[in-house]
Amino acid sequence: MPLRSTEQGWGALVRAFHWLIAVLIVAQGVIGLSMVQMGLTPAKVRVFALHKSIGMTILALVLLRIAWRLTERRPADPPAMPRWQRRAAHALHLALYVLILAIPLSGWWFNSTANAPLVWFGWFDIPGLTGGYDPVWKPRALLLHQTLFWILVALLAGHVGAALWHHFGERDDVLRRMTVGPRKQNGEVR
Amino acid sequence: MMKCLGRLCVAMLLGWAVPASAQMWQLDAAHSTLTFTNTYQNVEYTGQFRRFDATINYDPGDLAHAKFDVSVDITSLDTRNSERDHTALGADFFNAPKFPKAHFVTTAFRQAAGGKVTADGVLTLRGISKPVVLTVTFAPHGDTATLDVTASLKRLDFGIGAGQWADPSMIGDGVTVHGHLQLRKANP
Repeated sequence: MPLRSTEQGWGALVRAFHWLIAVLIVAQGVIGLSMVQMGLTPAKVRVFALHKSIGMTILALVLLRIAWRLTERRPADPPAMPRWQRRAAHALHLALYVLILAIPLSGWWFNSTANAPLVWFGWFDIPGLTGGYDPVWKPRALLLHQTLFWILVALLAGHVGAALWHHFGERDDVLRRMTVGPRKQNGEVR
Repeated sequence: MMKCLGRLCVAMLLGWAVPASAQMWQLDAAHSTLTFTNTYQNVEYTGQFRRFDATINYDPGDLAHAKFDVSVDITSLDTRNSERDHTALGADFFNAPKFPKAHFVTTAFRQAAGGKVTADGVLTLRGISKPVVLTVTFAPHGDTATLDVTASLKRLDFGIGAGQWADPSMIGDGVTVHGHLQLRKANP
């Protein structure tokens, strides 16, 4: 599996970024939706701290991923794919990139306006984005964080649905090239 | 004439009743602060009590008659984090519904090394009384003065956040309290 992407498929690094971030986002969603239901105990504080640490990790990974993508070509779309589908797919991917940047940023912003600590896995202190406690912007930052999350859920449903449709409906290489890699011309998996 | 002399006598008696060198001060609450620093998840934060009252009797030349008596409205807590404040006033921490006031009163003043003054006193917080030592810095400016006091205490001595919240890596045990009091002479 080549490190860099080719005309036929995604490179190893892009796939690693994709699946690592995907797993972290799913974990983040489950943790985030669960933690707000918890009664106030030290365990809740620790779960919040974990959510913040994972969120900052996702933010860093997404920045690295975007930096790497800017140095690469993207594999060609399947030739049979109509133009509107290509446009829709590319727009959806762009929206996903925006969201996976904006959601951790909005969480960081909310945390800053709440004047809450942000210590990356108990290791080092990450400063706030704003000048400390801000009761006016705090509820807006939270609303933004939550709204963007639900938009992400909706777009991910489309993203996953489209990937499965390519694989099982169109029977093309779109999902395969993000997982095991594209088939060779003769049908072998490379 | 007798009436006038009588008034004079009363005034003189009242005057003698107060020790000659004692100086009463009035608190200028608008320009005074009572802050503290502590750690939460090992990150330092500062909080304050916005309402407190202090009776200050202090003359640097007569420490024997000095006395501070401070009452703090616990419900005026502000750590610039509404969730934290709400939690801190609850039963696990300050338990403000049951103990709405903290009280500090000095018992003795001492001239410490290096010209510093320290005050021994008793702090009653959450129904528990413990000795607390203040470092006192007093700077008079005519009819006004600034009084800075600092104390180190341990929250767990007073049962604040005992039990499940006792872990100092979650909430630090040590608390540094700093009072910055702007004073006006009560009888200039």
